[in-house]
Amino acid sequence: MFVLTEEGREYLEQGLPEKNLVELLRRGPLELSEAQGKIKNFDIALQWAKKNRWVEIRERKLSLVSEPKEFPALEALKGISEGREIEEKLLSTLLQRKLIKKEEVLRAEEFAGKEITALTPELIKSRLWKEVKLKPYNVEAVGKRIYPGKRQPYLQFVSKVKRKLIELGFKEMSGPLVETEFWNFDALYQPQNHPARDWTSTYQLKNPRYGGLPGKRIVENVKRAHESGVAGSRGWGYKWDPRKAMQLMPRAHGTCLSARTLAAEPEIPGKYFAVARCYRPDILDAMHLIEFNQVEGIVIDESLTLRNLLGILEIFAKEIAGAKKIKFLPDYYPFTEPSVQLSAEHPELGWIEFGGSGIFREELTEPLGIDVPVIAWGIGIDRLAMFKLGIDDIRYLFTQDLKWLRNAKTVI
Amino acid sequence: MAEKRKDGDLMPTVEFSLEDLQQLLGKKITAEELEDAILYAKGEVESVDGDVVKVDIKDTNRPDLWSIEGIARELRGSYGVEEGLPKFSVAKSGVKMKVDAKVERVRPKTVGAIVKGLRLSGYAIKQLIQLQEKIHQTYGRNRELAAVGVYDYDTLRPPIHYTTVKPEGIKFVPLDFEEEMTPREILERHPKGREYGHLINKFKEYPLMIDSENNVLSLPPIINSSLTGKITPETKNVFIEITGHELERISVVLNVLATALAERGGRIYTVEVLYPRKKLVTPELGAKKFTLDFEYSKKILGLELSKKEVVKLLRRARYEAKISGGKIFTKYPAYRNDIMHQRDVIEDIAIAYGLNKMLPEPPRLPTIGAADAREEFSDTVRELIVGLGFQEILTFSLTSKDALFRKMNLEEKEICEIANPISANWSVLRNWLLPSLLEFSASNLHVEYPHRIFEVGDAVEIDETQETKTKTVRKVACAVADTKVSYEEISSVLDALMRNLGMDYELRKTDHPSFIPGRVSEIFINGKPLGVVGEVHPQVLNNWGVENPVAAFEITLVFSV
Repeated sequence: MFVLTEEGREYLEQGLPEKNLVELLRRGPLELSEAQGKIKNFDIALQWAKKNRWVEIRERKLSLVSEPKEFPALEALKGISEGREIEEKLLSTLLQRKLIKKEEVLRAEEFAGKEITALTPELIKSRLWKEVKLKPYNVEAVGKRIYPGKRQPYLQFVSKVKRKLIELGFKEMSGPLVETEFWNFDALYQPQNHPARDWTSTYQLKNPRYGGLPGKRIVENVKRAHESGVAGSRGWGYKWDPRKAMQLMPRAHGTCLSARTLAAEPEIPGKYFAVARCYRPDILDAMHLIEFNQVEGIVIDESLTLRNLLGILEIFAKEIAGAKKIKFLPDYYPFTEPSVQLSAEHPELGWIEFGGSGIFREELTEPLGIDVPVIAWGIGIDRLAMFKLGIDDIRYLFTQDLKWLRNAKTVI
Repeated sequence: MAEKRKDGDLMPTVEFSLEDLQQLLGKKITAEELEDAILYAKGEVESVDGDVVKVDIKDTNRPDLWSIEGIARELRGSYGVEEGLPKFSVAKSGVKMKVDAKVERVRPKTVGAIVKGLRLSGYAIKQLIQLQEKIHQTYGRNRELAAVGVYDYDTLRPPIHYTTVKPEGIKFVPLDFEEEMTPREILERHPKGREYGHLINKFKEYPLMIDSENNVLSLPPIINSSLTGKITPETKNVFIEITGHELERISVVLNVLATALAERGGRIYTVEVLYPRKKLVTPELGAKKFTLDFEYSKKILGLELSKKEVVKLLRRARYEAKISGGKIFTKYPAYRNDIMHQRDVIEDIAIAYGLNKMLPEPPRLPTIGAADAREEFSDTVRELIVGLGFQEILTFSLTSKDALFRKMNLEEKEICEIANPISANWSVLRNWLLPSLLEFSASNLHVEYPHRIFEVGDAVEIDETQETKTKTVRKVACAVADTKVSYEEISSVLDALMRNLGMDYELRKTDHPSFIPGRVSEIFINGKPLGVVGEVHPQVLNNWGVENPVAAFEITLVFSV
């Protein structure tokens, strides 16, 4: 069984090139170049017309020498397109000229009523699928297990929290993993002898050991806040040591990003957040990581009050933890006053400590050039993440277990 | 910010009997009611077991709340049982403490008090010891800034001398021991000596508290003598001394202890502390003063309070207050030292009002949210690589030199090193991600292959030009581990990523000891060398214990300082 190729179909519709040439020359000889312009596929036409000795070229002129009665090739093309039998010799010429090709479908009678497995393009094109029966599969068997590319589930959860915060109008902050104690502590009004600044509570770097300090104005302001107080405060009343402030450390909390943002002329009103990788020399166990993410941020505006702070915490509890009931507890941070802890009743987990918040002390904001209230907040999403991921060991947030990652459900 | 441990400070947990609280309070209270009531003392109930209650006190600057006596005093205010400044009667004892000039360089300050007429039960003594411990740990910074000594006053022969002694200069029996020991022996052999010896062992002479008949009271801040330092239910009168470096801090501690004992029915007597050039009479229990702005207070609270209401709230928080001329004039108890700004008083007003009685009001501010550009770019990269069939992983950025260099066949170079690592495994900040990926693959040796994994994360490089002498670099690393991997495959993953990010890049043949020679290229993006792609060297695979070939690339995506 043969079918026409693209070229074969073209010739059947528009005539064989050699036929077109013969017909053109019936009106008399032509300049070679003139004939060339009038005939499509001229080279092919000339080749076949010469081979059959129908034309000759003399002094660059082309003329008809014998006119054929018929064009068997054309007849053959027509025959094939109509499914008639064609003599062997002609078939081989047409195959050689690539005007026809072997059709690779099996004959209908070979198929008819048979059951086959694979539906092929040929079956569809030839419509032979009508003659066959496609074998039914065991459609209730579970598919073979494959492992798609996918997000790390905890990071994916963090992304969702981030998206939520952005929807709530917060701009994302970012900053260096290595900080000076200045930005991590001093600028936050945390005194230099505070136990949080102890060898045992925070990491310090031994190489490089010291960084630089920011502009003189800010450094002087911070020094004054610690030593004798600013904004009506009595300060911590000790001699502030710039060298201590230059000590480098991997950041211990994300609050240093808020300090940097405040010092860099933030938008007022402004809302900012960060998901910050933080480091603390804790014992690594099911409840503690030495390296973890903190979600926190600030809200800046002249109009802010303690009731606004409670309002923000309430939104986080509802929007992020899905809590219906919440409770506020007094809290303490060296850099906020008043300070409030948020407990939220999660539908499944029960009461969880979900967030902390406070209004930054004026001893912190004034030295950084901010003269309006700044609400600082942090939310603890890890407990929630662990619940969503169905794990009870916090180390699984950074899991090294590929099998678990592959099988973990996408967080919705 | 949401941490149980308060930013490096141990949060004091106070254990007490509910029945005792009721007696001190003069009021019946159930464990359930305590949940809400304790908020007024900045506490949170941690556990209730029958009559035994444990409470976390949030404020690390309020040692007066670290005892049940102090908590009860605060709650009497919030319940309206007893409002305003707590009153303590103080009488003179005439007892003198002489401070030798020699203590100046060692542990220069001391204050003292006597509380008489006590009948302490075993339980009350335990409470006293608990309070002492909490103060030592937190407010006293592990005894460095304040150490408490409590003695049976009737065993002492005043005046008391605060002086120094040579390490072998005296012998006495320390608490919990039965033999006489020299100070040096105590530092070497007594558990407390070993724990706190570092506070004094650098000095030629150690601090010593001794009475007029050369009976040792204590070796501050290490240990009391067993002769004078034992408090029992028979003890009627106690002498308290505090040593440290700042008068203000140790005075607060003294006031906290003396007033806690006064809550147990004792009467406070002053002591004359004779420094070489001045005399103090302690404890000084007169009220302290602070003035704040009325309008500012209301503005911060967001509450429309009348003057009368503010005064009432402050009295419930154990202040005295008067409002005139737009100012709130307050007096507050001498056992507090935490008020340095108006806000500190405003918080007490808020707590007395009740945080849960306030109506939360979300701020309505016209702000527009936005992701950080660097994070957004990272997410785009993650999305593309996930699309190429890779599993995202998350690893720690703290690692070891061994992982970054030796295992990777690399010469050591300068990187960020932690001075106080808790383990050598987490002692440096990584400068590239690929070692983390190899470690990951090695921990999943028998998990079905191929391992197609990637991480987008931060690394830290030394950069002298930056304020932090480092720069944080966002990188992406991508690896395939399988029985057969090829450079061709990983470079087409790289190509797909780069083309989709619209980044012009070029691969230039290079030598890199972590990769197989002839199968590694440096990746140039816009003419800058920003990454590497290749087949990992089998020696590196052996070093990690990875048993399948690995092809990988790593690129620097963004810098930030």
